Amino acid sequence: MLELLGQQIVPIYNYRIVLQYADEFSRGIGNTLSAAAASLVLSIAFGFLLALIRLSGRSWLTYPAAAYTHSIRATPLLLQIYIVYFGLPLLIPATGRWSEVVLGVIALTLHTTPYMAEIIRSGIVSVPRGQREGAIAVGMTPIQQYRHIILPQAFTNTLPPLLGQSAILVKDTSLLSLITVFDLVSAGMLLNSERIRPNEGFLSVAVIYLAIYCVMLMLSRVAEHYLAGTSRKARTA
Amino acid sequence: MSQHHIDVFFSVMPFLLQGFAETLKLSLVGVLWGSVLGALLGIIRGQQIAFFSPLIGAYIHILRGTPFLVQLYIAYFVLPNTGLAWLMWDSQTAAFASLGIYTSSYVTEIVSAAIRAIPRGQWEASFAVGFTRMQSLRHVILPQSVGLIMPSLGGVYVNLIKATSIVSVVGIAELTRQGEISILRFPADILYIYLLVALLYFAFCFPVLMTVDWLERRTKVGAKYGTAVLSGRLEAAE
Repeated sequence: MLELLGQQIVPIYNYRIVLQYADEFSRGIGNTLSAAAASLVLSIAFGFLLALIRLSGRSWLTYPAAAYTHSIRATPLLLQIYIVYFGLPLLIPATGRWSEVVLGVIALTLHTTPYMAEIIRSGIVSVPRGQREGAIAVGMTPIQQYRHIILPQAFTNTLPPLLGQSAILVKDTSLLSLITVFDLVSAGMLLNSERIRPNEGFLSVAVIYLAIYCVMLMLSRVAEHYLAGTSRKARTA
Repeated sequence: MSQHHIDVFFSVMPFLLQGFAETLKLSLVGVLWGSVLGALLGIIRGQQIAFFSPLIGAYIHILRGTPFLVQLYIAYFVLPNTGLAWLMWDSQTAAFASLGIYTSSYVTEIVSAAIRAIPRGQWEASFAVGFTRMQSLRHVILPQSVGLIMPSLGGVYVNLIKATSIVSVVGIAELTRQGEISILRFPADILYIYLLVALLYFAFCFPVLMTVDWLERRTKVGAKYGTAVLSGRLEAAE
């Protein structure tokens, strides 16, 4: 039965060719996921800093932060990647020796940081005022307030949009194929250019991206289920 | 800024502006098709009909789950490979089609979320005065949804403009591509030319973004649904 189905599908989608390229595809998936993971960690760290800057209310800090945020939001990611890839080695010659993946991760981090900052900022703002006042009343330092009172509560409101942004980040890594990073799209491109089989090349890539997306969707459902009831916002939204 | 930069500016700008016009055309056609298709699917999905709503949900998830670059490659490389004459698209058609379909996934979600945000009582009241389903939609539900849809649609439009830069890889001479061509003429000024390109994108997107932010602040509900969809909450409408 399965054999028969295999015979039928071969003219449209010859899975045997895809299997021959299994190594390339797994290398591509590895690069895609590791680039996404690296920029995820970095952009959460920098996004947290940026969120604190925006909440600080000091104009000599918030104005540059706003300028950065707006210029990232109003220009295409592809252009930002090109500017980092071609421009950074001109400004700092030492970066010319860095691999494309590193430059790509820098560009993706630059791009994702403002979005992460906005998610983290609205998570922090969602914690009721009284919580911070209570923390001040019992004599906590600002760092203690964040660590013990604000961040644990902000986390529940932050996790669902954070997962959504991570899904976008995984998709955004596809543009790294245009600066010669060997990611998932490049693997499909390689198959297509060596065998001239676009179906096998690009449909496989699309299906693999969809599979990654489905995993993240399931994670987000689990997270929402797990967090339901612990967060005031989750109940009203 | 030296004399050299000024010279490069004046010799490059006509081509960049030409590319900018192409970007504008792509984004306008994309938002038009995307809105028409998205509004249609969104209205159907907003009714929560047994068979169609999950089908449209799958459509949204498939488009959300794959990068736009891959969608473009499928429109440009895979569809002509089917052997059907009407799917043998040139790069222009492939770009228009993929941009429109990409946009429709966002518009569908926004429209159906806005329809579902209208309180149930509005439907019941319009049925009570004898409206059919279509009449209730047209006279009662949709007029109230528009206020929720508009701010988010602006955000979708900015997203679309930024997505048009990707179309440069199949050889459409839009702004990013014109920038690359100009760099072939002035290889030493690569950073300067890319910054000019970025400035053009910024000059167009920034006012739109500010208007969107302002509209969203004005309608708090719009902020709740619109930014939730765009900031990528995976299941904004659930």
